[in-house]
Amino acid sequence: MTGHIWRNPLYFWGVEGAEKEVPSIPHKSPQDVWDETTASKAKMLPVGRLRYYYKWPGHGGLTWPRFRYWGTRRRALNIRSVYNPKTMRLEKTIVDKRPIWWVLGLLAFMLAPLAMPASFQNTLLTAGATFSIYAAINLCWMLIIGTAGIYSLASYAVVGAAAFGTSWLSINLGLPWWTLPLVGAGVGLVFGMIIAVPAIRLDGFYYALLTIGLNELCRVYALQSKQFGSSTGGLYGADTYIPQGWDQYDQSLLAYYACFGVMLAGLALYRFIDGRRLGRILKMAPEKREAFAEATGVDFRRARIWVFVISSIGLGFIGGFYAAHYRGVSFSIFSFDTVLLGLAMLVIGGIGRAEGAVVGTAIVILLDKVLLSTGPLRLILIGLIMLGVVLFLKGGLFGIKAQFRAWRDKKKSERRSMRAEKGGEMLPEEATETKDKDLLYWRRYDKMQREFLKTVISPELIEEHRKKPLGQHSEPLERLLLYFRRAPQNDKYAIVAVEPFKAYRIVALSGQRGVAPRIVEDKIYTSTDEAYHGVFLRRVQDLLES
Amino acid sequence: MSAPAAVSPAAAPERREILRVKGLSAGYGPMRVIHDLDLSVYSGERVGIVGLNGHGKSTLFYAIAGLTGWQRGSILLNGVEVGRTRSQGPGRYTHLVVRQGLALIPQGDEIFHGLTVEEHLDSGAFTPRAWKERRERKEKILKIFPPLVKLMKTPVGRLSGGERRMVSIGRGLMAEASLFLVDEPSLGLAPKIGKGVMEALFDVELGQSAMIIAEQNVALLEGRVDRVIGMHVGKLKGEASASLSFQTRREL
Amino acid sequence: MDVGFILSNAIVLACIYGTLAIGLSITWSSVGLINLGYGFIFALSGYGAWLASQYISTNGVVVLTAGVLTGALGGLLVCALAFIPIHDKPNFTVRGLIATLAISLIGTQALLYFFGPRSKNLPDIFGFWKVNVAGIVLTSDKIGNVVVSIVVVTAVLLWMRSSRRGLEIRAMMMNPHAASIVGIGVRKTGFYVMAITGGLAGLAAVLLSQTYYISPFGGLAPMIKGVSIALCGGLGSVRGAVIAAIILGLNEALTARLLGGQYVLITQFLLIILILLVRPRGIAGILDRAREA
Repeated sequence: MTGHIWRNPLYFWGVEGAEKEVPSIPHKSPQDVWDETTASKAKMLPVGRLRYYYKWPGHGGLTWPRFRYWGTRRRALNIRSVYNPKTMRLEKTIVDKRPIWWVLGLLAFMLAPLAMPASFQNTLLTAGATFSIYAAINLCWMLIIGTAGIYSLASYAVVGAAAFGTSWLSINLGLPWWTLPLVGAGVGLVFGMIIAVPAIRLDGFYYALLTIGLNELCRVYALQSKQFGSSTGGLYGADTYIPQGWDQYDQSLLAYYACFGVMLAGLALYRFIDGRRLGRILKMAPEKREAFAEATGVDFRRARIWVFVISSIGLGFIGGFYAAHYRGVSFSIFSFDTVLLGLAMLVIGGIGRAEGAVVGTAIVILLDKVLLSTGPLRLILIGLIMLGVVLFLKGGLFGIKAQFRAWRDKKKSERRSMRAEKGGEMLPEEATETKDKDLLYWRRYDKMQREFLKTVISPELIEEHRKKPLGQHSEPLERLLLYFRRAPQNDKYAIVAVEPFKAYRIVALSGQRGVAPRIVEDKIYTSTDEAYHGVFLRRVQDLLES
Repeated sequence: MSAPAAVSPAAAPERREILRVKGLSAGYGPMRVIHDLDLSVYSGERVGIVGLNGHGKSTLFYAIAGLTGWQRGSILLNGVEVGRTRSQGPGRYTHLVVRQGLALIPQGDEIFHGLTVEEHLDSGAFTPRAWKERRERKEKILKIFPPLVKLMKTPVGRLSGGERRMVSIGRGLMAEASLFLVDEPSLGLAPKIGKGVMEALFDVELGQSAMIIAEQNVALLEGRVDRVIGMHVGKLKGEASASLSFQTRREL
Repeated sequence: MDVGFILSNAIVLACIYGTLAIGLSITWSSVGLINLGYGFIFALSGYGAWLASQYISTNGVVVLTAGVLTGALGGLLVCALAFIPIHDKPNFTVRGLIATLAISLIGTQALLYFFGPRSKNLPDIFGFWKVNVAGIVLTSDKIGNVVVSIVVVTAVLLWMRSSRRGLEIRAMMMNPHAASIVGIGVRKTGFYVMAITGGLAGLAAVLLSQTYYISPFGGLAPMIKGVSIALCGGLGSVRGAVIAAIILGLNEALTARLLGGQYVLITQFLLIILILLVRPRGIAGILDRAREA
């Protein structure tokens, strides 16, 4: 700082009172502030939304050939086509790529037996069959938990009841295998009616607790009754669709594809309920918003009974198939751990979406089968995953993307609104309120200018001004004074002569014609120079505070 | 004109700064409701904040109590910093702020339905010192709101709107607080009852504490508070002082 | 003899299950968490009491205290895992429910891993004696169970009614938002509540182990009984829970006597469904004078 000197050009012209040299500060370029302000510290990103879709080219005059599902106006892919005004071309965007992933995934699952290593073939085929059955059950369950938003934990009880009923009928009355799913569907229907009745009356959590109880009731009942084989740990010996004469590999392969078929049926059911009228009605009337839905004319009670009946028929069908697949059923289907594992599958995948049910099932079944040798540890691991997912994720694995985007948007907007400083650039909220839009730019450049002038203020400058408030000043002081002089009229400081040449005081102008200036301080200055310097000090103070 | 005259001698010996808000911005998610707001309140002062719906009066109070979605800026309550840059966990530090001497009387019926009026008043006195003196404090409240005497054993859920508001305000006044924030005390009440509630608030002896009343109806505040501050789109606009008319200042 | 036996059994069961139900009820209404990890806390405190009886002393007081303390510890654990991280996040009730289920899964499997599937039994903490009152033979464990559970539950309820901490908890039950405005720390109170309800579970575990065994999955059935009582009484209502405990205890004893043990759960659930269909918010729906609209 010291050692810098401003040489007064007026001195050589012999101007009165001009000093030859004045101690000053080194030159600071306003360009630096400009560069610093305009240079973005954030990484530069292309303007616009950060979602990139591949843009398929348009097809000249041809309309896009759209596949529609038979009998509906539904398209297989949701494709948006818009004209890009810059390129003057048609651009097509596949908005929702999930159908493509579904087709690829299911194809892979279908072709998987070809690629299985021979040593694990049997295990993998069995695991695949188990996965398919559980995925089908979870899809039906998801209709109740996800679409209808009712926390029913009795789905495995329905499956178990149907499986036990059909096994018993098959053993005692000799029903053939192909009747089992149908009979099971009937059992499921009856059961579904029973559990649907409380659902229209009870609040969510009352219902959840009640269904846990129902599950336990089924377990205890089956465990204690002799005809359901309380001594053998289950009911076995039902007719099966797998011909016993085939060799092991063919049997496994048949079971694999049969279960795959059941899963496909489950997916179709989910799609048909969730994506159509019934699903929309149910999603309109979630927990706590029933009254509103009712007021808009939605009969949510009937919709709930329907979804219970339909999904229970589905579950009963799967229960019958389960009996025919495993040649019977064990008590473990009623156990609390089974319900917990099923819930873990739904939660890990994400509640309310089909892919969540299927992928969650795949993950849990995989862990369950792969780590079978570790005993309770694998269940602890699954529980930990479930806990982690519940604590950190809003919508399971498939909700990560949306959750991350929501989080990022929240942070972005928070940071944006926290960044704006007082007197600095206007925020959008403020800018829309302002009538004079010129003010937006004025504020922006004013901010930059103040930033620069703040760096200029130094004891040397103040000392220079104190010595000589009027006349030629050094370059930085001149800049500062020019800025002060340009300030708007309202709240601008002025000097009032209380008694000419003897007493002056500082006032602030009102900026409005006819409104008297207001007195700022009680201090009386004895000379104009002193008063000028007082005003200068106040302005410097205000500038530093802003 | 009588109220300021009564207050100013009491305030004269010591005018302590109870609340000093500097550069406070607050909002919910992407929305910024309060823009760089500065406000100072001194002991013995009764300040009115006037503004339309949605201009941030309640948010200002919530920000002081730490109940907004996010906030930034300094809030000194009795010289202790209670504001901080915070972008999640609304309400997580509210009880600590309250222990610093804040009593927030929120808008609407934030009451505990099943508790009786007496328990309710007790619940206002959770700071250790207030808890010990709760009997005397209750008597003081009952002097302000005489209708509550008969209702002491009644569950609050069965009271009428005006009685509930009395209970809610009484609960706030029970606290060992140096700053009372009263949010729209007359909202949703019949004009006459609302006026009665306001009168009761004006009659509270502040002593060394201060009170901020947010209100939409300026007529109810006229002449009874020391300062009236306007609030417009998240900023304080101008300040009119009932007693010191030459200090009246208008900002554009 | 018949009636007296039924009645005394009913009262004993009502006391124990009532303790559990009140614990669940308080948890739900004050911190808004359906604690389905309650069965795990139950089993955990049973093991805690068993460890105490193995390594410290078989004195009744020591065993009981150890059970209650372990239960409180379990409650704190559930609170720290399922309440603190998500209590101000969206969908808390559902996520909390699932989180407690996950804790229950992890916890019971961990118990199975450490202690093995073989069930343990506790020493008789009330000694071994009999009283004959008007032709009814009352064994020591029955009297002890009833007295201890009634005393502890009454003490907890009185404490909640009169003390400052209790007022805090009740205030938080009614309106958590207003509670934080009044100056009640929601997280801290959550820890208190969970410790107390966990302690109640521990108490019930030790008392019930006088007649049943302790096993990793042994907490499930008592939890379901407790849940059904809490449901029947109306979640959040202590008085409703007491009445429901008496009704269901009576039902259990009567059914066991008249129809046979395997029908107990069936009649119980029929009764609960019936009550809930009439009053969707349980018995408390009839009792409570001031309910929110």
